[in-house]
Amino acid sequence: MKTLQDRFDEQLEQTRTRTGSDWQYLSGFTRFAPGKEHDLEIENLLILARNLKSARQVKVSPVFARQMERRLLRRFAELRLRKRSTQRSSFSLFRARPVFASILSFCLLLLVFSAGTLAYAAQVSNPANPLYSLKQLEQHLQVSLANDPGTQASLDLQFARERLNTLSTLANRAHGSDYIEALTDFQQQVQTTTSAVNSLPAGSQRQQFGDQLADLQRDAVRALRAFLPELDLSARLATTDTLAFLGERVPRLSSGTLTITLHPDQSATLRLSGANLPSGARLLLDGKLLEVTGTLQNGQLLFIIPNWDGKRHPRSLGVLAPDGTAAQTTAITIVTSNGTSSNNGTNNNGNGNGSNGNGNKPKTTPTPHR
Amino acid sequence: MEAIEDLLEQARQGDAGALSILYNRFLPGIFSYVAMRVPDRATAEDLTSEVFLQMIEGIHQLKARDEPGFAAWLLRIARVAVAGYYRKRERQPVLVPLPGESWEEMQAASLVISSNPAPGDPAVWMETREEWQKVVKAINALTEDQRQVLVGRLILGYDVAAVAKMIGKKANAVKALQFRALKSLQRLLGIQIDSSTLRRVQKEKIQ
Repeated sequence: MKTLQDRFDEQLEQTRTRTGSDWQYLSGFTRFAPGKEHDLEIENLLILARNLKSARQVKVSPVFARQMERRLLRRFAELRLRKRSTQRSSFSLFRARPVFASILSFCLLLLVFSAGTLAYAAQVSNPANPLYSLKQLEQHLQVSLANDPGTQASLDLQFARERLNTLSTLANRAHGSDYIEALTDFQQQVQTTTSAVNSLPAGSQRQQFGDQLADLQRDAVRALRAFLPELDLSARLATTDTLAFLGERVPRLSSGTLTITLHPDQSATLRLSGANLPSGARLLLDGKLLEVTGTLQNGQLLFIIPNWDGKRHPRSLGVLAPDGTAAQTTAITIVTSNGTSSNNGTNNNGNGNGSNGNGNKPKTTPTPHR
Repeated sequence: MEAIEDLLEQARQGDAGALSILYNRFLPGIFSYVAMRVPDRATAEDLTSEVFLQMIEGIHQLKARDEPGFAAWLLRIARVAVAGYYRKRERQPVLVPLPGESWEEMQAASLVISSNPAPGDPAVWMETREEWQKVVKAINALTEDQRQVLVGRLILGYDVAAVAKMIGKKANAVKALQFRALKSLQRLLGIQIDSSTLRRVQKEKIQ
């Protein structure tokens, strides 16, 4: 069953379609035969609707309509002209001065390129990337332009942490040299940050930044120790150095004495001197790991190497500590059982002493290398 | 007749002819809407001019692509113009209108409506200035949706579906809105024809 609203709409629609959009007042009066109360209500509303539609007050005066149309078209033409002249004026300078246009275009391009490059450089974290130095320059400028020591210290801390994060992406055998370079950067940045924090006046700000720096160093120690198993020997040696810089107890070698006995079993004895030498460390001979474990005797690490090739003179000796840290020296003294000895190179800290255990003159001139 | 969609596109491209057609097509609807909401013809014409001037300023940015969308946009401009008029009027002191073309003068010149209305004839209820003021007041008491439905259905001659699209409601809602709008007007204006009057009017018209 249709509702009153539907019936009213139906009647209205019939009137509308029958008489077109120009239905006239009272033109449909004869159509409605009053009967039911509902019909009367609908008819009342239809009359009201038609009265509203056909009231003279809502009819447009033709004079107004014409005047308004003329005014509108005039304004429309003005707007079109203005729009065209705006478009023209934007390019007129370019047309009139081609050199100016070229210079301006070049400057814009340069600006866009520079901004893009700087933005990209800021994202670069690999030291092998040519833009890495640009990033460092940007950071240096940022610190230089900072207006107070607190901000500088804060920026230095932030950059040090960024470098530590960079290390984690490079800590693998595929990025050995990049890792070492990033490690050097990190160490320098920690040094810079330490200076910046120490230069702050005593007070709560210095205390706060000092605590943050200590946190950073603790995080760095944890991270570097976790990286060790993933690194090749040179990266391990560099990491061990950085751990020492951060105050960790790591092995340091000063010299090694290799005693070759002309024994039927052709064994050799090696004594390594240094600091923090751990028992159970394994021997590194010319950068290669030997399955020989050292024992600690009078502060020296003692290795017995069976089946020694008597003609072999090692260029470097090192140890791999059970915790993964490593140390190496090239300050090697070779002693044979008939009493001759030779001294070769320096330790991994570059301070080889050049003397041998029994005071004999070395056979060869020490050559520093790592 | 050219589709409104094409005319809109041509007007956007700067075709004055298309703009003229659009203006003539929508002028009655917009003028009616404004005239039903303000007390005098001069104001209605001023505000209508304002609406169409804004139309040509903004037609380049208009997103609507069809007729209901365009009508809704114009009615939105008209609503804002009327609201602005009432806001201004609140701040200004009441002015005594100068003699000129008033609704009464228009009525005197008009021959459309029966010149000798019978007493109680519903045809005369909006013929005097005072009566029209009541109509304006009643229209202003409706909701905006109800007003737009009345303009869409009665003046622009749209079907329910087009009005539904124009105001963003369902067809049943449009039917309900138009019914309630007219009922409210009937109540506010105190108009009710009894069956005997209706028969008498019908009879007169047949003769």
